[in-house]
Amino acid sequence: MSLLKTEVAGIYFENPLILASGILDENGYTMKKILQEGAAGVVTKSIGTVERTGYRPPIVAEVTGGLLNAVGLPNPGIDSFGEEIKVALEAGKPVIGSIFGGGVQEFVDLAIKMEGYGANAIELNLSCPHVKGVGSEVGSDPALVTDIVTEIKKRVKIPVFAKLSPNVTDMLEIAIAAEAADALVMINTVRGLAIDVYARKPVLSNTYGGLSGKAIKNIGLRYVYEVKMETGKEIIGVGGIENAEDAIEYIMAGSSAVQLGTVLYKKGRQAFAEISSGITQFMKSEGFGSIKEMVGAALP
Amino acid sequence: MIHSTITGIERVSPTTVSIRFPWEAAVLPGQFIMVWIPGLGEIPISLSHIGDIKGITIKSFGPTSEALTKMKEGDRIFFRGPYGRPFTQVKGKILVVGGGSGMAGLLPLINSDTVGVVSARTKDELLFVDRFLEGNVIKVTDDGSAGIKGIAVDGLKGLDLQKFTKMYICGPELMLRSVYRYIREIDVDAEFSLERLMKCGIGVCDSCSIDGYQLCRDGPTFSKKQISGMHEFGAFKLTESGKRIALPK
Repeated sequence: MSLLKTEVAGIYFENPLILASGILDENGYTMKKILQEGAAGVVTKSIGTVERTGYRPPIVAEVTGGLLNAVGLPNPGIDSFGEEIKVALEAGKPVIGSIFGGGVQEFVDLAIKMEGYGANAIELNLSCPHVKGVGSEVGSDPALVTDIVTEIKKRVKIPVFAKLSPNVTDMLEIAIAAEAADALVMINTVRGLAIDVYARKPVLSNTYGGLSGKAIKNIGLRYVYEVKMETGKEIIGVGGIENAEDAIEYIMAGSSAVQLGTVLYKKGRQAFAEISSGITQFMKSEGFGSIKEMVGAALP
Repeated sequence: MIHSTITGIERVSPTTVSIRFPWEAAVLPGQFIMVWIPGLGEIPISLSHIGDIKGITIKSFGPTSEALTKMKEGDRIFFRGPYGRPFTQVKGKILVVGGGSGMAGLLPLINSDTVGVVSARTKDELLFVDRFLEGNVIKVTDDGSAGIKGIAVDGLKGLDLQKFTKMYICGPELMLRSVYRYIREIDVDAEFSLERLMKCGIGVCDSCSIDGYQLCRDGPTFSKKQISGMHEFGAFKLTESGKRIALPK
């Protein structure tokens, strides 16, 4: 296993595969099981200040190349989430607390509480594409992104990751605005739509959703590569990783670790063990001695 | 989404209907589909009929199921699936234990030799008792309007459970819990079909999870042994928002 170890912002991961936010991360027991079955870390569902039920189903549509989802940020509210973190931490691996808010103070309060629950890092959801007033609406304003990241960095000791949206004119501009973050997580889902022609209606109850899966892999790769080249920041790559080769592509584009999400719909929780073993095999046959050696290997 | 046209509506109780529609898919007992009413909502429903003309059996409990109970022959029905791990089928004598609408998911298992314990709040809500041979069914009602007055587990007390090759139980979680506790120490194989709030149906949203297992993908059927190791079974559930709440003791 030591061949696969990696580090992001000083946090040790036994392999480069982390569970992405929004997938199987609402219940502490699920996160714990995923960690025990091979994930090196998990990111929780995004948690806000108050309880939200999320959208009415359909919240997900199976589409060409992946999934379209608009779950609507359901969460019990930060004050009711400590128990889930506690259970997840029993696996003895990093748990990253994802938070969303509408402004600086809200983000700061959430981050402080997440740190108090024992989360090993904070992931700022600056990119949810389907809820008004939060997520990408916040994350597309560079000045606001700078304020949120800078303030949180002053108030918590654990590393802060900024998860960025591709639904902006210039992702690089936002990445630069998030300069104070310890690492960038990119990319979140791409805003999309699916229509059932026989029903003559959009499938999702929210109409619009976020596209994830294979269909967005090459978009994610491009952004990771470009931002790594321009900023040199530590990056956690995410978007459409379904096998070892996809993960290695993201690593060679400049990611120190990657996140898996939609692949769990295809392969189930065993995706982690399967992709880990594929990466090991590749490293052995291609003569790589560490993940670090592969990070950014494709950059000029 | 898949769509089909409804070819028949069968009323199975004053509050419950079976909706029948052609769909050429291989479906096994215990599996479910996500049924969509455009513009209204999407809910998981077990298949009660798994031949070429499939069927779902539903009672109104929310806006989507309410709309389904009002559908007519010739209407279009939208759904996706089939999803979920089916019941493990065995040769030999089986016992099915159904609580309320839970009988719908057990219907495909019933043959001429099957014994059933059918429970409901009241006589009118006992489902599919006519599918068992005379003498093979024990009725249980909360109000005593038919059969034994009590809950499902009271219907088990007069049976020698060890003579069954397998038991299959489907119904609300508190009913499953009482049956589980009753048979825990008895040497009989059993499978439970669990019910939790389900949103995605495909193993990604975590809404229906129990002890790390996704009901929609690893279940909804779980063996007695699997249930025995679960902390959350009969004890906790997550609400629509993901808030953890304790179930009544």
